[in-house]
Amino acid sequence: MNISPELLFHYPWLPSLEEFYSDVSDPVEFLKKFHSKFQLSDYESRILNLFRSAFENLEEINDFIADELNAYLYVFVKILVYIFDNKRIANRIANLYSKQSYKELLNDNEDANLYDICRDLNLNVRYGDTVKFKEVFDKGQKEILETRFSIEFQDYLNLSIYLRDDNRKLCHKALVDGYVYLEKREVKRLLQEFVRRKFMIEDADNKNALEKLKQEFFKFEEFKSIYENILNEWELKKEEFEYSVDIHFEEGKEFQGLFPPCIKEIMTKAEEGQNLTHIERLYLVFFLHALKFPNETIIDVFKGLPDFDRKKTEYQVEFAKKKGYTPHSCNTLKSLNLCMAAKYEDPLCLKGYMSKKYNEQRTIKHPLFYVQYYQFKRSMMKNKQKISNKKENESN
Amino acid sequence: MNPTKFLIRTFKDYYTKNAANLPEVSKFTNREFAFLPWDKSIMLRHMSFENIASFSHYLINSAPKHVYSSGSLYNHPEIPNMEKKGYEGCDLIIDIDVDHFYTPCKDDHDGWYCKSCFKNGKGMPLACPECGSLKLKRVSWICEKCLDVAKKEVLKLLDNFLIPDFGIDQKSIMIAFSGHRGYHLKVEDKNLRTLSSDARREIIDYLTGNNLNFELLGLRARSGIVYGISQENIGWAKKLNNEIERLLKQSELDIEHFLLNIGFKKNRIRSFLNQKEIFLERFKNSELNDWSMEGFDIDKWKIFLSGIAKRVGANIDEPVSVDIHRLIRYPGTLHGKTGFKVQELSIGELADFNPLDATTKSKDPIVFQQQGIDINLKIIEEFVPATKIKGITYGPYDQGDKICVPKHIAVYLLCKEVAEPMSMI
Repeated sequence: MNISPELLFHYPWLPSLEEFYSDVSDPVEFLKKFHSKFQLSDYESRILNLFRSAFENLEEINDFIADELNAYLYVFVKILVYIFDNKRIANRIANLYSKQSYKELLNDNEDANLYDICRDLNLNVRYGDTVKFKEVFDKGQKEILETRFSIEFQDYLNLSIYLRDDNRKLCHKALVDGYVYLEKREVKRLLQEFVRRKFMIEDADNKNALEKLKQEFFKFEEFKSIYENILNEWELKKEEFEYSVDIHFEEGKEFQGLFPPCIKEIMTKAEEGQNLTHIERLYLVFFLHALKFPNETIIDVFKGLPDFDRKKTEYQVEFAKKKGYTPHSCNTLKSLNLCMAAKYEDPLCLKGYMSKKYNEQRTIKHPLFYVQYYQFKRSMMKNKQKISNKKENESN
Repeated sequence: MNPTKFLIRTFKDYYTKNAANLPEVSKFTNREFAFLPWDKSIMLRHMSFENIASFSHYLINSAPKHVYSSGSLYNHPEIPNMEKKGYEGCDLIIDIDVDHFYTPCKDDHDGWYCKSCFKNGKGMPLACPECGSLKLKRVSWICEKCLDVAKKEVLKLLDNFLIPDFGIDQKSIMIAFSGHRGYHLKVEDKNLRTLSSDARREIIDYLTGNNLNFELLGLRARSGIVYGISQENIGWAKKLNNEIERLLKQSELDIEHFLLNIGFKKNRIRSFLNQKEIFLERFKNSELNDWSMEGFDIDKWKIFLSGIAKRVGANIDEPVSVDIHRLIRYPGTLHGKTGFKVQELSIGELADFNPLDATTKSKDPIVFQQQGIDINLKIIEEFVPATKIKGITYGPYDQGDKICVPKHIAVYLLCKEVAEPMSMI
């Protein structure tokens, strides 16, 4: 794939970066080349600004310049994120890079660039005659959606699955002959999500190996100095949102461990500082309200989110409480891809329970029932324990 | 004679004669195999075979009740730990089974028996009409009508969704009669194999029309006017509009039946029918897509469109397609609940295929039809519905009836566990 260097300077996450800079796959070789090519003074402020922008939840990178250094910095930042081994930092960088990329993409009106970007990502895209694929009438006005872009449905699903809004669902799209017609803005939104996921990190399996690699990198004095600088800033910043999701809403009632996997997943993401989608936030608030958690406790759950704003969260949590919305049912959660039964291999969600009343295996249909079920089980266990203790005492 | 012994012997005979000719599924060595024996209710899973010959040999020796292979591909299909199997992807599997949807003929041939008050009857009641108990034993039967409905669902999937919308290459679609009450459809495509469960759910929502948001397809209400879905839209919007037009061109009785089924009251139905012609005209020609109709606010239109979506969407067993570790019946093997063969079909063969009266021998799932071999059976179930196979109707039978039937019918009744053999003639 022939892609222009200018595109790589703007979008360094493109796979072709490796063709231009063959040493990007070997981080030590890369750092060698990087430090021979650039002086600390060339890039220090840009790197620090980038991390500061991320820590401050800004919508774009301060002093962003789409030059050759930007392409190098992308790899440099990825190395840093990797050795920080901190999901919150990774998520903040991911959010910032994705927003910056989306902004760059929106500012770029060249269809050929968008096409090249998709092709470079090995996406099956078609660019053809303009197709009118949707008409919407609103207030007497006709809005026509048309495009030259379509993307193969498998690629569309792989990219869109992480976007939770209803509009991205395949059944709401124009799907013809295996291709989904999309407006350019929608293609760019999919790419934004792709960029965000490029920075997601898994828990390092081998902490010793990571530490060894870190020491290897620290042989580059400049790298070590940047690393320590950023870490210091992070230490200061993280106190603002460090929290513990240890929720008790009523004395004597412990709810951790009773939550269904869908809630566990969202809570884990919140704890790790990952961005939550609108639907995830709503569902979590409705769920915790339904269990009568105090507003303050609910607000604290969101404290670690990249875009946390206490005042806004207070208002929204209070508003949701007044409205008294019920949390989504299991069916709705499945359709929103929020059901995590399979991922957590949860037996109650997957296989259901044996109902004595109906003398049959029944599935659970609502996440609140999950809590009720385990609460009931827990109380039964306690009662059994009481009875056995009583018997023991009597026999003594 | 012990019915299980008889069936094992019969299945063994079948596999001895036919196992060498079983089709070889693609990526054979990467598939997990599973078997349900006759004497245990536990599935023997996590098996793999080096080649079709060793698989055939296994079938001849053990003659299992049910035979499955995985839709998934694994590096080590024989490892029981799913994490360590080395998952490589999964074919898209679609299961169409009349067990999962209502067909009117079930009122005639499906039966129930109340374990509380011992009453029995036909149909599919949720509870015993006599005592209200939910403890019902159900007997599900097969009939040409049910199987025809299932076949039409497969054709709907192919002609309305998989080929025109998803652009699936016909060569990558495998179809099989399940050997009981439905069909399996497997799409073998390397790109599809990589899709996650979440992505597969999106495909299922597309195929079924579940979770459609009609407002996102264009339905709006503004200042008392309801704006409908544009005729120009592509995708589900177009499917809904086509079906609305088809419905409106049907008889008033059919439309009334549809509106009743989706829960509309008599007055509203009358109002709809009175305005139908004017609406149809506006539906086809209105520039603004004005769907305003007296007594039909946007919420009523949503109910209406949900009903339309149900007619358009395919009836499929959704969890099967979402599960990436699902097992599917192996083609050419026997179904332990009927003794019928799991019959592979090409798309071209499907339209004229009748599993209970197939005209081509090589495509005939009824493999135990043998001239001159009749078997004496005693009916042990309270009520056994009539069964029409190969153009001949057998039954209905009552408990205690002694019957003499051809071998394929005997195998079917024994597999259904409603009869026991008396002696061979």
